[in-house]
Amino acid sequence: MAIVSFPSSILKVTNLAKSFGGVKAINDVSFIVREGTVTGLIGPNGAGKSSVVNAISGFTRVDRGVVELAGHDITNQAPHRIAARGLIRSFQIARELQKLTVLENMMVAPFQQLGESPWRALISRRAVMREEREHLAEAVDWLQMFNLFALRDEYAGNLSGGQKKLLELARALMAKPKVVLLDEPMAGVNPTLTKTLQGYISRLRDQGVTFLLIEHNLSVVEAICDHVVVLAEGAVLAEGQMNELRETEEVISAYLGG
Amino acid sequence: MSSLVFYLLTVAIFFCIYCIYGWGLNLQFGLTGILDFTYITFVAIGAYFAGVAALQPGNGGLGEQYILGLHLPFPIPPIIGGIVAAVLAILIGYVGLKRLRSDYLAIVTVSVGQIVWTLIGNITPLFNGWDGISGVPQPFNSVFQLDFNHYQWVFLVICILFAVLGFLIIERLTHSPFGRVLRAIREDENVAAALGKNVFRYKMMAFVIGSIYAGVGGALTIAYIGAYNPSGFTTMETFIIWAAMLVGGSGNNRGMILGAFLVPVLFNEGTRFLPSPPGNPLLAESIRGMAIGLLLIFAARFRPQGILPERKTVFRLDGLQQGGEAGGDRLVPQ
Amino acid sequence: MSLLLMGVGFGLITASVLALASVGLTLQFGVTNFVNFAYGEFLTIGAYLAYFFSTVANLNIWLSMLLAALLTAGFSWLVNRVVIQPFLKRKAPLLILLVVTIGLSLFLENGVQAIAGPSFEQYAASSGAIVNIGPMIFTTQQLVIIAIAIVLMTGVHLLLKYTRVGKAMRSMSDDPDLARISGVPIQRITDLAWVISGFLAGLAGVVLAINVTSFTPVLGSQFLFIIFAAVIVGGIGRPYGAMLGALLIGLVTEVSAMYIDSAYKTVVAFAILVIVLLFRPQGIFSSKGRV
Repeated sequence: MAIVSFPSSILKVTNLAKSFGGVKAINDVSFIVREGTVTGLIGPNGAGKSSVVNAISGFTRVDRGVVELAGHDITNQAPHRIAARGLIRSFQIARELQKLTVLENMMVAPFQQLGESPWRALISRRAVMREEREHLAEAVDWLQMFNLFALRDEYAGNLSGGQKKLLELARALMAKPKVVLLDEPMAGVNPTLTKTLQGYISRLRDQGVTFLLIEHNLSVVEAICDHVVVLAEGAVLAEGQMNELRETEEVISAYLGG
Repeated sequence: MSSLVFYLLTVAIFFCIYCIYGWGLNLQFGLTGILDFTYITFVAIGAYFAGVAALQPGNGGLGEQYILGLHLPFPIPPIIGGIVAAVLAILIGYVGLKRLRSDYLAIVTVSVGQIVWTLIGNITPLFNGWDGISGVPQPFNSVFQLDFNHYQWVFLVICILFAVLGFLIIERLTHSPFGRVLRAIREDENVAAALGKNVFRYKMMAFVIGSIYAGVGGALTIAYIGAYNPSGFTTMETFIIWAAMLVGGSGNNRGMILGAFLVPVLFNEGTRFLPSPPGNPLLAESIRGMAIGLLLIFAARFRPQGILPERKTVFRLDGLQQGGEAGGDRLVPQ
Repeated sequence: MSLLLMGVGFGLITASVLALASVGLTLQFGVTNFVNFAYGEFLTIGAYLAYFFSTVANLNIWLSMLLAALLTAGFSWLVNRVVIQPFLKRKAPLLILLVVTIGLSLFLENGVQAIAGPSFEQYAASSGAIVNIGPMIFTTQQLVIIAIAIVLMTGVHLLLKYTRVGKAMRSMSDDPDLARISGVPIQRITDLAWVISGFLAGLAGVVLAINVTSFTPVLGSQFLFIIFAAVIVGGIGRPYGAMLGALLIGLVTEVSAMYIDSAYKTVVAFAILVIVLLFRPQGIFSSKGRV
């Protein structure tokens, strides 16, 4: 399984394997995500998509294999280290910080804020406030773009399901990630909002943000993914562009109960 | 001085001390969601170490055994009390905070409380065992040379100074980005980690800072009473502080002040003089314990956010809204 | 060497007491997925009920024990229904649930103290003849305790392995969501877990009280963290692990008490707890991790 490392590859997964109590969740998975693209990760239920997401983002340890982010080996690093390297993930079920307001959810995201050190929070109040203003300006921008500005002072727990999804995406972007890993962002989202999210992702991609997208809905995948990796039974079944894959027999049989 | 004034002064002093305890616990649980079921152990460690830091070297006139005996002037003993409590917190945190589930730390704290209590009671050379240490000098009294009654005023002023300083610090921390991360961890550790926050480190910091409050509060307690023994740090003492926090408002430092007034002051003082029949000398004490237990359950059931719930953070945005149209061209903010 | 074997003898008795208590705690944890911090008081209640039956009502100690265990089982069921369930229905967070059980613990311990008083109590029953097995010394009472533990551990094993409720309990412990989907009667199994947990706690309380000879209302709460040690060593929520954990903690604490001051044997249990939490938090007897 030779993977050619393009200079533009930003996330590279090589021979990933993981089993839970004897059951192989990930068998042998390799793929790359190129900078500035939307790469789709699809596959039937139980194909190991979520396990791959958790493995890449450090939430489960892998038994074997290497994950590289922008040339750095991030395999089995702690989730917060991986995030700090610039890979931000979302969760399948939106995990807003309920008793924080929408704005606070955004304000948590930036890395290494001065005021996150208790000592600096106590003694460097001015510098902390200045930094807060900067982050606040960014957060306001994002919220306006995602149509959440009016809800800024609402507790995130009170948002609707769709709004939570938007907030999760906005929060991920607020962290200025190199790669955004979205775990079924359209799950449980109505068709109108799906279209909106689709639009956001495409336009963000055009402005240089890289996405790895786990998605069930193939028409969404076809519409926004530049490259698609098909997983089945913990291994890569096929990869390419969606319209090509649609013609591939293995993919069809994997999806249509073959 | 009338005995009523004296009594009120005592109550006021303990009110200040309970506020200090409460803010520390509130940082741990109210803000961060850390279950510290032996908060009073940190108070005790702070009290003992502050005590032996202030006392004359060993085996004083009363034939008590204790370590150190550094005879240091105020306010060094409370600083030592805070530091020692922080060290204990770091040790316990390493065992209990690394696990994802919050039960583990709770189990560790319950066990540590039991162990420390047994050890301090049984190892007499440490802090004079079950009899405890006594004769701890009162701060500055060698300067003022006041009689016992008038000295109460001096000590109240000291406590108020500590409480005000403690309040300013805890408020600034609560409303800083640091406090925000702690609340994010309370809501969902995984999300905080996915946003690059080192959850273990932050929990440890919250645990340690909270324990410093406990240690300093304990140091003030021993400086005031002048004595301390294992009956001063039973499990129930921990839950009086917990009840105060849950009733007043977890996550709200002003609510904590209210809670410190309602539970330890009103409730505790109000029931202190319950009679106990000769057959069961601890009956009043038992009933108070039952009441605190019930209070915890009912507070959790009917008003877990407390009388004064955590306040919503509202940012002032003046000058920040540039009227950016939703769905405009520029998606990545510059 | 004979000192060691003597310690092993004491260790077997402690392990028996501990096994009953730990399996009860861990079974309830496995099914409900939260720690009951009032569990120590369940033991205390069992011990005091048996005291009432044996001393006040003049019943045989073993009959008193059985009655006490049955009542504690009923009490445990009631605790679940009256105290715990209202919180679960409102989807209260885990943190709040744990605060509730610790509040309950404070309430119960002080309740027992209010009713029974703080003084030391002792069962009237004689500890029976002395039996020597090599250098190990047992009283017949202690041999009965060991037998009770063996019988009940076998019973728990049969229940988990061969009955439908046992299998349902295991499936709830392994994967609650899957259990729900596959039609496990959650409510009934939860009730049953509390009942079994209470029954074992009641028994454990009585045999603990017999073993330490005289007891006060803090009997259970002081024993609780030794139970925690056994449960965590075995992997929390795992009944077989708890049995092995009880054996390990029982043996190690009692053998060590032969060589150091026996006042510090709880410190030994604590040290084991700390070491396990630091290096193998999923328990030393469990093969797979549990998040």
